[in-house]
Amino acid sequence: MSSERHLHPVAMLIGAIGTLRRWISGLIFPGIVLLMSQGFSLRTVALFLIGVLVVAALAALWGFLSWRATTYTVIGNSFRLKRGVFQKSERTIPLDHVQSVDTVQGVIQRAFGVFEVRIETAGGGSSEPDASLSALDRAAAQSLRREISGSQMEGTEETAGPAVLRKLSTRELFVAGATSGQIGVAFSVLAVGSQLFDDFFSDDFVRRLVETLAPNWLMVLLIFIPVGLLLAWFLAIAGTVLAYTGFTLSREEDFLYIKRGLLERREATIPLARIQAIRISEGVLRQPFGLAAVRVESAGYGEDAGVSTMLFPLLPRGEVQEFLAEATPEFAVNPALQKLPRRALRRYVFRAVFGYLVLALAATLISFLVFQYAVGLLAFFLLLPAALYGWLCYRDAGWAFEEDRLVVRYRSLGRKTAVAPRRRLQSREVTRSPFQRRVRLATFLAEVASGSGGYALRVTDLDARTAEKLAGNLAPAARLEGA
Amino acid sequence: MKGEPAERLDPRAITLWRITGLLNLLPLLVGAGFAAWALIRFGDVSLFLAVVPVLAVLVLGGMVVGVAPGLRWRRWRYEIRPDEIDLQRGILWVDRTLVPLARIQHVDTRQGPLQRRFGLSTVVFYTAAGPNQIPELSVPVAAEVRDRIAELTGEQDEL
Repeated sequence: MSSERHLHPVAMLIGAIGTLRRWISGLIFPGIVLLMSQGFSLRTVALFLIGVLVVAALAALWGFLSWRATTYTVIGNSFRLKRGVFQKSERTIPLDHVQSVDTVQGVIQRAFGVFEVRIETAGGGSSEPDASLSALDRAAAQSLRREISGSQMEGTEETAGPAVLRKLSTRELFVAGATSGQIGVAFSVLAVGSQLFDDFFSDDFVRRLVETLAPNWLMVLLIFIPVGLLLAWFLAIAGTVLAYTGFTLSREEDFLYIKRGLLERREATIPLARIQAIRISEGVLRQPFGLAAVRVESAGYGEDAGVSTMLFPLLPRGEVQEFLAEATPEFAVNPALQKLPRRALRRYVFRAVFGYLVLALAATLISFLVFQYAVGLLAFFLLLPAALYGWLCYRDAGWAFEEDRLVVRYRSLGRKTAVAPRRRLQSREVTRSPFQRRVRLATFLAEVASGSGGYALRVTDLDARTAEKLAGNLAPAARLEGA
Repeated sequence: MKGEPAERLDPRAITLWRITGLLNLLPLLVGAGFAAWALIRFGDVSLFLAVVPVLAVLVLGGMVVGVAPGLRWRRWRYEIRPDEIDLQRGILWVDRTLVPLARIQHVDTRQGPLQRRFGLSTVVFYTAAGPNQIPELSVPVAAEVRDRIAELTGEQDEL
């Protein structure tokens, strides 16, 4: 396999559209100004159209030239990509440095039934793929993928293809959206929207609106808050549908494959050997219905960072173990967790309440000084829920070290359970604050590789002696195991 | 977990930390002085009230320069065992970190301009989850520690 191959011709179109998009963002403003200042006479419209045609023609030409200049091949043990119309560039990536070969299908690619193939190595940055082929037809994408990962899998024979482990049904998709709890994200979208609204309407209009609404502010609040929440909720559902439609997890040998996306189809590969830890998270809206999502923390090649990836966005809590046993057997454990000592409860409640207490005091003080009106005292009503939250955190916290795997459960809004095998732990840490020392408690922390730093499995406020013993027990038995 | 790690940092670290503490404090002191001046000049505040920020910075400075370095040095300990590196540090929040040598990817020594003056050096070792360091060792000790970590890491890998 050493012939140099071109991309699918659709790449010309994609390249041209990309170029156009870049130019248009530069030209749109002068264009509009021109149209406005000259008025819509036949001449200016004609000029404008001609301009558009010329730009489009140039973009098309450029698309063709860059398509002709782009070739890729797999030679020996490396992938080679040649690019550039005027300034030629050639990139060589050793195959065993390739971390993943993902395919993404944008809207244009879908229309023509082609795929964008992204080749990521460990050395490069995290957001930009190291080599991206904008259009390959199915056969070409598959054969490239096979050539690249074939060398990694070391002569795995042609098999029946990956077996589907689990598929997200339409009903589950909507449930996942409705319970995603990404309302905060949606709210920020709304905030941006309202900013646009501000820019769009005149000050006068806004002032009149405020004047009519101000006397009935309570009514307005009562209407706007639920409407805003509802909108945010719909946005969260829409976001989930966009990202997770057709979510399919399959496995072949030591590789997991994830396919997902409504408009943009994404396909990702996770080598099992790179998975460092697994996190089962039961969101606030999901736990009551016994639902959970599973994420994996995976590391890259060498010292480079990996990512946190959604392994499956929604499944019943009761089926998680079964699911893990099929998908990532190394992480399928469900031991009984050790609880924290009773004296930790006070620390948990204190920690949850303390922040609110400071806030409430500040709010009272400010409201008193500024408005001569102790509205801020209302903030103290939040203390009880805060204390309750602290109690919940205490109740859910727990840990276990069994079958050579560390399991840690904690709550940060939602309840999370993390699993990491001992051989994946990069370091262990025992921290004692002055408050903890007084009551012989400590915080235990074990790090696995993930992202640009690490992902930490943390148990707050366990018995200090136990924490030290745990840190000792988790030492690598390299000499016995042979790593 | 075994008892406290055996080795300490170089005692010159204390002086170095005093100096860096002082340097870090300078902008704060200038800021506080400026605030005091502004309060007197424009705020019509009595002299006693106006010097409060300066005093606060001075007290903080006393802690940072006078007390903290000694305590910090006394707490900081490390030990390089055949299978793990053991670190202990922190004045109020005491951290104890264990890093298996088999997980270490590479080791550096590094030296800032002030450290060079004192003949001190910092050993930094990296795992896939990020760096850890042993600061303020005398240059020969740091080199020795670095080489020992590198050597042990290699040994662990072969197993």
